[in-house]
Parts: sequence; structure tokens; C-alpha cells
Amino acid sequence: MNLPTLAVQRCRSLALAMFLLGATAAHAQPDAASLLKAADKFRMTAANLQVETQINVINADGTPDKERRYTVFAQAGRRSLVLMRSPAEQGQKVLMLGDDFWLLMPASQRPLRITPMQKLLGDAATGDIATLSWADDYVGQLVGAEPCDAALKSAGNCWHLSLRAVAKGVTYPRIELWLGQARHQPVRADLYVLSDKLAKQARFVTDQPEAPTMVTEMVLTDQVSNHKTTRVRYLNRKERVVPPEWLNPMFLVRNPPLD
Amino acid sequence: MGCPPQDPTRRHTLWPRWLLLASVASASPVVQAQAPNLPISGHVRLQQDDQQPNTTLAAPLPVPTGSATAQTELRASGPAATAVVTLQQRQQGTATQSRAWVNELYATHDGGAWQFSAGKRVVSWDVGYGFRPNDVVQQEQRLGLASSTLEGRPVLVAEHFSADAAWTFAWVNPTGAAQDAAGREPALAARLYQQQGAVDWHGFARVGAYSGASVGAAATWVATDALALHGSVRVLNHSTTQVVLGGNWTAPNQLGVLLETWRDGTAQAGRNSLLRISWTSEGWSPTLDVLYAPADQGRTVTAALAWQGDRVNVQGALRVFGGPAGAAVMQLPVRRQAYVALTWAF
Repeated sequence: MNLPTLAVQRCRSLALAMFLLGATAAHAQPDAASLLKAADKFRMTAANLQVETQINVINADGTPDKERRYTVFAQAGRRSLVLMRSPAEQGQKVLMLGDDFWLLMPASQRPLRITPMQKLLGDAATGDIATLSWADDYVGQLVGAEPCDAALKSAGNCWHLSLRAVAKGVTYPRIELWLGQARHQPVRADLYVLSDKLAKQARFVTDQPEAPTMVTEMVLTDQVSNHKTTRVRYLNRKERVVPPEWLNPMFLVRNPPLD
Repeated sequence: MGCPPQDPTRRHTLWPRWLLLASVASASPVVQAQAPNLPISGHVRLQQDDQQPNTTLAAPLPVPTGSATAQTELRASGPAATAVVTLQQRQQGTATQSRAWVNELYATHDGGAWQFSAGKRVVSWDVGYGFRPNDVVQQEQRLGLASSTLEGRPVLVAEHFSADAAWTFAWVNPTGAAQDAAGREPALAARLYQQQGAVDWHGFARVGAYSGASVGAAATWVATDALALHGSVRVLNHSTTQVVLGGNWTAPNQLGVLLETWRDGTAQAGRNSLLRISWTSEGWSPTLDVLYAPADQGRTVTAALAWQGDRVNVQGALRVFGGPAGAAVMQLPVRRQAYVALTWAF
């Protein structure tokens, strides 16, 4: 064997070793907590956000049911404030500080302290739009690599995480979540209510399918009662730290302009 | 039960006083510097009321049996001012009555943690549902059959807020006469609010020109994931006591139970208990209320049903008074009340 042939063989062996090493790294089981934090960044693009959200509920026959507008102030430390903007709910607010919840109705002029159960059973939309982060409210367990689309095996593989709620008052105590393997963006989720019944299936739409940087829309399909579809569209996100008094329920009864 | 209702005839005589307050505040350079940009919202409400006279009385009082009401509420709020106005037309038999009134009109100044307001404003305090002894500013009449937007009182308010505490100082009815009845007398009131984990604490104090001094305290405690307990106590002039205790429980099937009992040392029927059972599903909300006075076994039973659509809300209720002939509620001029209302929000 001459020297050039030997060099080529060594080079091939090295390339094969590097390929095998790379392939092993690509399929190494990542840490569930890290995956969850990476996935959160596609919805919660900064630690403190103001998010304008629109919800369109569509009946099973395709006809529009209702449209709602919300402003969500999602702040670090599991603090969020939801302002209802639609005429039917104008002036209503939901304040969530960790496991403590208040409901503010425009007619009552005083905050109502509500239990986690009351918050959980309230308008499900509040939970769907206010929860932009899973890492704070859930612990995840990596189930493994599975097809991103259960019905379409050729759709590529996703990381399947099983999430269990550790915070009170979350709308879905269990979530089965599938994330893209390369960028860890949320692809789809099965959302289970308190009775462990599959309530909704979620599909996440991103800004750039090939190189996603943020989730622009979440499509929820009801699996229990009415089979309605809810489109949650994130119209605008901007980084915003709200003054501390905005997260005081007594401040909010004054109906201050929060824009 | 609750506080005495506001005399509607006062509406016109109070107008210049709170209008003066709001005008003075609005004229200040600080308020004028913030150009008001007031988006308007509101609702239109059509309501049909019906009531059946109490014919068991020795001398039954004539009561109107039915009326139809059309009401428009306009609401505008901006950085420097808030206004809520109601326009109403009511038909009773062949008579038609038109009225308009201002529910709220007040100017505000945003000083960061300090907030100031002046004018006619609703300031509701305390934690109860059927009875709120420390609602010492607004003194709202509780347990009305059909809910309606409150009408505020003339106030000058200074408030300080931090992340988990709030101080409120209110000068209520500053231009009122000392001999005016409790809700309309000039008074100074203060409230301290402190959030501490699962508990909201409240402290209250009030000094009225006519009614004297009172102090109070209240708390709401989220005891479990499904149960919240609340209590409030007020001591007036070192002797008379008002106290309320209650709890809310919610089941996973969306059934809600509220139980509240109170003793009002200022009222003849001092003890009352309220049981409310409610349920919510797909926009529908049926509710059953039972108000019971143990002293005379009088009871007020109210069944209500509401449906909330995208912009439309439909609701109706039937209230029946019952109990022994000597019960206080059996001396009321009506035996049954009912209404149905349709509201369109814009």
C-alpha cells in the first residue's frame, strides 16, 4: 500500500469517525428541562413582555363563533396581567401572581380573590393566552423521539416531552409536547384537563418554518365537547417591564389606562 | 340588609357639588397637560320588569305591576379623566319617563406610586358578597334583583401603591351637610391593603360628621385550591358591631357554592345567612340564591339564568319572598319580582 492510498484511507476513517460521532451527538437524549426552556423562548421571546393577542373561535362547521382581543403583560417570576379588550369583556382583568389570582370586573369596582379552581374553570382562553412559559409551571420528562405529525410518519422526528404541572391553577395539569429536534421549537401538544381527559390538541405556527424564531399562532382543537377550533394569534410582542403597582390588585380597580 | 338606598331625588341637588370638584381638578395644569384621548364603550340594555303585589297585607300598597326600560350606558376613560353616563327611558302603563344621570365623572392625576382623583367616583371596599360592613365610602345597596352600574359619590382620593400594599385616603361628600344621612354626610375614610401570600388583609377607618367614628378589618384567605374564606368586622362608636363570615367553594364540574352569614348590630333583622349555588357551562350561568333570616324565618329565594354571547348578554331572574306571616320580608309591598333583560355591548 503506497503512502497516498494510506492517507486517503486514514482520511476516510477519520471522516467516518467524525460522522458517527456527529450522528451519536444528534441522537443523544437532551435534558428535558433545557428543552423546555429552549421551547419557551419561541413564545416568551423576552423575560418581560407585552403581547397583543387575538382569539378567533370557529365552530365545527367552519362558521365563526366569537372573536376576542387581549393585552397580556407577561412578567418574569410567574406574574402576568391579562386585560380583556373586546366589547363583551371590556374592563375585565385577570391578575396572576404565582399561585395567587384576582379577577376584576368593571361593574364591581373591587378585586375578587379567586381560588386556583375558579381560575382554572374560568374562561379557558385566559389560561391559553396568559401561559407563555412551560418551564416555570411544569416539570418535563423526555419520552423519546417520535414523528412530529402522528398521522404523517414522513414528517420528521420530534422530541416528545411529557409535562406535569407543579404550579396551582394551570389550565392543563398534563401536557404532551412535541418539539423540533434541531431548534426545539414547539410543534404540537396534547392538553389534558383535571380529569386527565384530552381536552384540546394544539398546533404551533412559527414565523419561518425552516428556521423558526418565534411562535406566531397557536391553533387549538377542542377534543371534548364542541369540537370548536380556537386560533390564538400573537399580533405583537414587545419587551416591557411594567411598574410594580400595575401588579397590585387594588391599583387595577381604578381602571387606569394600561397601554 | 346592607346600607340604606340612595335617595334618587338627591341626584339633582348633588350635581353641582361633584361637578365643581371635577371641574376644579380638570382645570389644573397637570391634568390639562395630558391631552385626553377617551375611547368610548358601553352597552344598550332592554329590560322588562314585573312584580306581584303582596295581597296578604292588611292594607296592601299599590305597586306598579310592570315596566319596560331602555337604557344606554356610555363609558369613556383616559389618562386624565373617567366618565360613565346613563340615559334611560322607562314605560310604566301609559306613562313614559326619561332620565339621564352621571354614574362617574372624575379627574385623575398619575403621580407614579401616588395616585389622586377628584369628582364623582365609585369607591367600593370590603370583601363580602351579601353584606359588606366596611364598604364605608360607596355604601352600596346589596342583593338587588337586577344588577346595575353603581352611581359614585363626590370624593377626593389620594392613594399610594407598592407591589403588595396600598393606602387609600378619601374625603367623601366634602361639600355635604353634617346632618345628611350616613351615606351622604361629609366623612374621612382610610383603607390599608396588604397582600401576604394566600391572604389579602384590609384595615379600615372612617369618621363621619354625623355618624361618628368606626374602625374595621377584613381578610380573604385562599385556604385550598377550591376554597376561599372571607371575614369582615366593623365596630361603630366603640359599641355597635357588624360582622360577616363566608366562604366560596368550587367543584371541578364548575359548580360553585357561596355561604355567608352576618350580624348587623345597626339593623332590626340583625342576623342573615345567604346561600348561593351557581353553575357555568358554555356561556350559560344558572344561579340560585336563598337569603334566610333566622330570627323570623323569613326567606328570599332568587333563581336567575344568564347567557353570555359574543356581544349579547341575556339574563332573567325570579324572586319570591316567603316565610311566616310575621316575617319582615312578608311585610314588603311585593310578593314576587321578575325581570328579563337583553344587553348589547359596544
